[in-house]
Amino acid sequence: MDIEKRIQSLAARLKYIQDIFAEREDANIELLHSKLKDFTDNGGAMSAQEAARQVEALEDLYAFLEKKLERELTPMDKVRIVRHPQRICLKDILENVYDNYTEIGGEGEYNIDPSVLIARAYITRRVGGKVYNQPIMVIGQEKGHGEEFRNGGSVKPWGNAKAQHYMQVAETENIPIHTYVFTPGAYPLEDYPGAAQQIARNLYEMAGLKVPVIAVFSEGGSGGAEAIGLADVRLMLSHGYYSVISPEGAAAIEGRLRGGQRASAELIETCARRLKITADDNRTMGYVDRVIQEPPLGARPEHYDFFKVLRSEVIRATDEVVLNVRGWKFFRAMTLSAQRNKRNASAEDIYVRWTLSAGARDRLVWRRYQRFRRMSRHAYIDNSPLTKKVERLAREAGWSVYSFFKYDFFRKHKKKFTHMLEEIGSEFQVVRDKAAVPLRWARRALAPGRAAVCSEEAGKSLTELSCWDKGSCDTPGVYVSPQAREDRVLTCTNAETHGCKDLWAPDLFGDFAGVCPTCGHHFRMEYQWYLHNVFDYGSIFEFSRSVESGNPLDYDGLSAKLEKAKAETGLKSACVTFEARIKHVNVICATLVGTFRGGSVGAAEGEKFVRAAERARKKHYPFIAYVHGTAGIRIQEGVNGVIQMPRCTMAVRRYIEAGGLYIVVYDTNSYAGPVASFLGCSPYQFAIRSANIGFAGPGVIKETTGLDIPPNYHVAHQALSRGHIHGIWDRRDVRANLNQALQTMGGRNLYYR
Amino acid sequence: MKDVKALLEEMKSAPYKLVEVAAPHTGVVEHVLTEPGTKVTGPQGSWGERPGTLLAHLERERNKKAIRAPMRGEVEKVFTEHAGRFVEAGTVLYTLRHYLTKDEVIQEILKKTLYLFHAREQAKYYFFPEADTKIKAYGPQSVRVRDGQDLFIVSRMKRESVLPYSGPEGMIYAVYFKDNHSVEAGQPLIGVCPPDQLPLIQDVVNRVKSEWEERG
Amino acid sequence: MRIVQACVKLGLDFVCVHTAADAHSGHVRLAREQGGPGSLYRISSYQDANELLAVADDAGATALHPGYGFFAEDFRFARRVTERTRALTWIGPSWRVIRDLGDKINTKRLARGLGVPTVPGSDRPLYDEPEAEEIAANLFSFQREQDVARPVVLLKASAGGGGMGIEEIHDIDSFRMTYRRIRNYAKRQFGDEGVLVEQRIFDFNHLEVQILCDRHGGEPLHFGTRNCSVQSTGRQKRIEVAPGFVPAELRYSFDAAAVLEAVKDHSLAIAREAGYDSVGTWEWIVTPRGEPFLMEVNTRIQVENGVSAVISRIGGKGGVDLIAEQIRCALGERPGYTQKDITFEGVGIEYRLIAEDPDNKFTPWAGRIDSFSWESAPWLSVHTQVPTDEPYQIPTDFDPNLALAIIWGKDLAEAKARGLEFLDKLVLGGTDSTGVELKSNVEFLRHKTENLLVF
Repeated sequence: MDIEKRIQSLAARLKYIQDIFAEREDANIELLHSKLKDFTDNGGAMSAQEAARQVEALEDLYAFLEKKLERELTPMDKVRIVRHPQRICLKDILENVYDNYTEIGGEGEYNIDPSVLIARAYITRRVGGKVYNQPIMVIGQEKGHGEEFRNGGSVKPWGNAKAQHYMQVAETENIPIHTYVFTPGAYPLEDYPGAAQQIARNLYEMAGLKVPVIAVFSEGGSGGAEAIGLADVRLMLSHGYYSVISPEGAAAIEGRLRGGQRASAELIETCARRLKITADDNRTMGYVDRVIQEPPLGARPEHYDFFKVLRSEVIRATDEVVLNVRGWKFFRAMTLSAQRNKRNASAEDIYVRWTLSAGARDRLVWRRYQRFRRMSRHAYIDNSPLTKKVERLAREAGWSVYSFFKYDFFRKHKKKFTHMLEEIGSEFQVVRDKAAVPLRWARRALAPGRAAVCSEEAGKSLTELSCWDKGSCDTPGVYVSPQAREDRVLTCTNAETHGCKDLWAPDLFGDFAGVCPTCGHHFRMEYQWYLHNVFDYGSIFEFSRSVESGNPLDYDGLSAKLEKAKAETGLKSACVTFEARIKHVNVICATLVGTFRGGSVGAAEGEKFVRAAERARKKHYPFIAYVHGTAGIRIQEGVNGVIQMPRCTMAVRRYIEAGGLYIVVYDTNSYAGPVASFLGCSPYQFAIRSANIGFAGPGVIKETTGLDIPPNYHVAHQALSRGHIHGIWDRRDVRANLNQALQTMGGRNLYYR
Repeated sequence: MKDVKALLEEMKSAPYKLVEVAAPHTGVVEHVLTEPGTKVTGPQGSWGERPGTLLAHLERERNKKAIRAPMRGEVEKVFTEHAGRFVEAGTVLYTLRHYLTKDEVIQEILKKTLYLFHAREQAKYYFFPEADTKIKAYGPQSVRVRDGQDLFIVSRMKRESVLPYSGPEGMIYAVYFKDNHSVEAGQPLIGVCPPDQLPLIQDVVNRVKSEWEERG
Repeated sequence: MRIVQACVKLGLDFVCVHTAADAHSGHVRLAREQGGPGSLYRISSYQDANELLAVADDAGATALHPGYGFFAEDFRFARRVTERTRALTWIGPSWRVIRDLGDKINTKRLARGLGVPTVPGSDRPLYDEPEAEEIAANLFSFQREQDVARPVVLLKASAGGGGMGIEEIHDIDSFRMTYRRIRNYAKRQFGDEGVLVEQRIFDFNHLEVQILCDRHGGEPLHFGTRNCSVQSTGRQKRIEVAPGFVPAELRYSFDAAAVLEAVKDHSLAIAREAGYDSVGTWEWIVTPRGEPFLMEVNTRIQVENGVSAVISRIGGKGGVDLIAEQIRCALGERPGYTQKDITFEGVGIEYRLIAEDPDNKFTPWAGRIDSFSWESAPWLSVHTQVPTDEPYQIPTDFDPNLALAIIWGKDLAEAKARGLEFLDKLVLGGTDSTGVELKSNVEFLRHKTENLLVF
């Protein structure tokens, strides 16, 4: 019996190995296969003792060869490991890492979203004879060993909303959060709260969460991972992957495949390697702090030792975070850092209380911001010389000081003073009016003829040319779209339904601002149109010009593509940041240009965005994100791109909390990462008519969910009725609407209020 | 009531109709499909989002527009004499042989069995707002009409007047006009099914569904 | 139709477009007779500029006449015609002129800049409530000063048109409420909050001045005045008379001759200032006190040009064809005569025969016309697309205009008598699909002839 069980387990191990290495031919696997086959074929004839001996030998062989194979793992093999149904899942971790737990929010498939698992868990420490129970909020995706209803850990929008809710609960209860990332990516549904918008909300929430957050990555698929991955310490399992996109998705884009075609295995393999998705890659780039070593060929539920390691790692990480922001820490912190280098040392030997004081909470959030601010600095090109950099820092510091005195300190006193003057003035007015009554009466009695003279003047004003005050009627700069220089006509997309006539390009793009006069359909306009027609004439001053898009992963072909984009657009990245004025109000605007690599966001774009937000904060200016178009995160930058989601969101949150006004305006098509983070988190999001807004395009939705979606699934009006955006603007009204928004919306700390 | 069976037999003898594809406006024609007998499809997909087979291009003022097959069928005749030429609006470019689908057969037979209410004069016709919202939301079968009921708005020469329905009471089974399209005098507007004939109509529908074979 | 005739007269080749519904219209027949089948193109819609230009290119046309409506006052179309890669000559004013004079506010300001009288009120959209209120208050006192019994002030949405967003107020107390209503309506409807404040003028006469200019900056010429005061309830003209007033035969409470001179001079001044370079009409209203106010400029040839032509003599000769003059000038010719050479003789009356019911708010009638004929006379010309020898179905997409009849007499009395004679001998009959007899405005025209030009 015993032998049979062991043989079965060996067979399972073989099956697993074959799964992991896919169809690859390998002498080692062949060997394992034949040895096992030999044994099962002859096993019946052997004596029990002999069999036991042989099985043991076989087991040793397996262990040996597994170690050997371990070294041959390719990135794609690791992807197959994390996707394997035998991969450890969150339930296993809850069982084995924590001492006690209660699942919150569901029972199996009876759950608002079974792919997200939330549990209140305990870790019990015994230090110095005392027993400490430490509560933790555990949030993570549950793949559930291939259970169908778990959806493979692909979280629906409401699942992420549930996660957000319990993050808030943890914050209220002042207990740390452990998140476990086991997701191939979010489920791309637009239904409320919306895949993108909910992830954005989660990021926004986590950016200011005042409790320690520890994230453990096993399978980190892009936006879905970020939804719970913004943490103070990010640990990663050694066989996990953390990537901007699945290797298959990258291959589909690389091979320019459409409509269900499959990319070849080699291409997928190459993409997986190029994207640098493994734990070690991410560790080197600085996006995870530590790698937790798994058993050979990946952790499976029976690897109890591994859970022990994991437990000690998460405890240590939590301790570290808490101690870093706490006043009393000296020896414990030292011990902890010493322990890190020692094997077998358990983090449980010392006790750290995990609740935080008010001051420590603020320090925690500040440190988290600093941490992400520092990330991905290597991933863009900044050509400005050192002196310039120093100068920039000095200037920024200057703005802070200046703004403080001008808007905070001085204004408070000035307000009091003007209030007082107003009061005095109106008192005086009353007195004067009373005194003037007899005077007026006398004047009227004395000069009856004067009324006629007055009316003659009035008559003149009614029949003669009046003076049109040119100052009140502002004339924005003249911009002629290159599209308006062509002698051709265009057909409106709504011609069938609305009977629109074909439009002559010079009329359409010159006079109508690219708007069909019949149905109001907006044709695509260049971003320059907005620069000229939205902002005051000649008021635009660009900054951060020196930050340039690079190729941090040395991804094949990206450099050439970037060169081409730079040459075609004359820009250095897809993000243009500038100061400008709208009807004399200074604003800072970050523009994502849809024509530069699809407006995709990489490290350079993220950095410019963050700098713009910081500049706006320091200067007390409103901050406008004008999204001419964005296709998402630049996948060729891998995690360097993805990390911009939390980075920019944190910068935005800091800006908003400082009392600013953050307005997002979407034009043309805006999808994926940026919408699911720093754009989607804005409380004031508006779309230009005929814009499309969403998380994933129709093709991707079909691919991942199998659902057919209607052609108008992503149009602005749908987004509005789903509550993703807060208004739809006509392109010709953008200037007036922005002005209105500047006057009526936003926080307490804008310079012009 | 007409003999449904005979009607059906009659339609079976000529199970198709010829559809003309004409130039919607002036322009230079460039044929893409030139082989008679080629099978073509109309718009497909749940929302008609996949367009029909490309038949030709029509270029006017440097704007090339696709002319696509409006429905399934096969190309009967290609008017190749227009190739590369400037054509007037309404010039016929193709004729398609369209095999009737079950629904079309049902419609065709219903037109002969239902009570038809005709347009008196050439004008644009609209439903009264109440009926209109009901029809748009739940389909025409949701509306019952009776004699003298104000049902239509007639729009002609920029002026609108009310047209009451006259005829037997019953439910609207089919609507034969479109908003914003001019209807000629004498064309049917709606087909009304009196309640006592409902089973008969159902019978027609079922019979066609079982007996008609779609082709092409 | 008259354009085709003018082309024939000038010896120019032409092509003509028509829609499927209009295949039997008069202009199509005329074009077929005069130019052969190659001069006709069937298009999908008259309102589609692309169709016209595509046809022009295919036919190898070098110039384009936009007709009376749709495109004639569309500066974008004019610009497209003249600025496209294969440019055509635009028979009409240059597009900048159309744009500048097509904007009523701009025209009003241009007029005021030249000291030309315009309707009292604001000459620019007002955005400031106190300012607008002051103007309204001034307008009330201004009218009272002029002894207007019941002064009325109009508030208009400046971006509006066609009677939308206009309200009148009778006293200044109701100003604020109305102003805000109009402003909000304007903002909602047109995206612009501007409001115009103007005096409302009652019982006025509608005068027009016919202007002709060449492309070389030559001195503008006028072809006299017209009075278009007989209108339907919807402000559609029904009878036009040239000249505008006849002080020789009728008594006016003001110096009518001086008014006619004033409107001509003012119109020429504006034409000069605007750099006008084609045929156009300056529209005026004249109050019962004899004050003329410029309303707007029609930068196109109008249907009623014929009534001015019929009283005009160039170098003493009749047979003036303004459309031909327009085409000539547009193609770059100089008129070849000066204002001195243009003289006027007699009175012209133009009737617009329309299938409509004047007793019932001028409701249009559509049906088949079975009989249509009139007795021709040397003093009469009739322009119609309706055939006289076969039945004709009135198309439903446009107004049911049947014919224009232009009558000339040596003085008003004779013209009126001849007008009545024409109407008496007119045969017009038909039925529609429901059997209703043809309705027409013949009686209305007859009735109105009595008091023509009386003011």
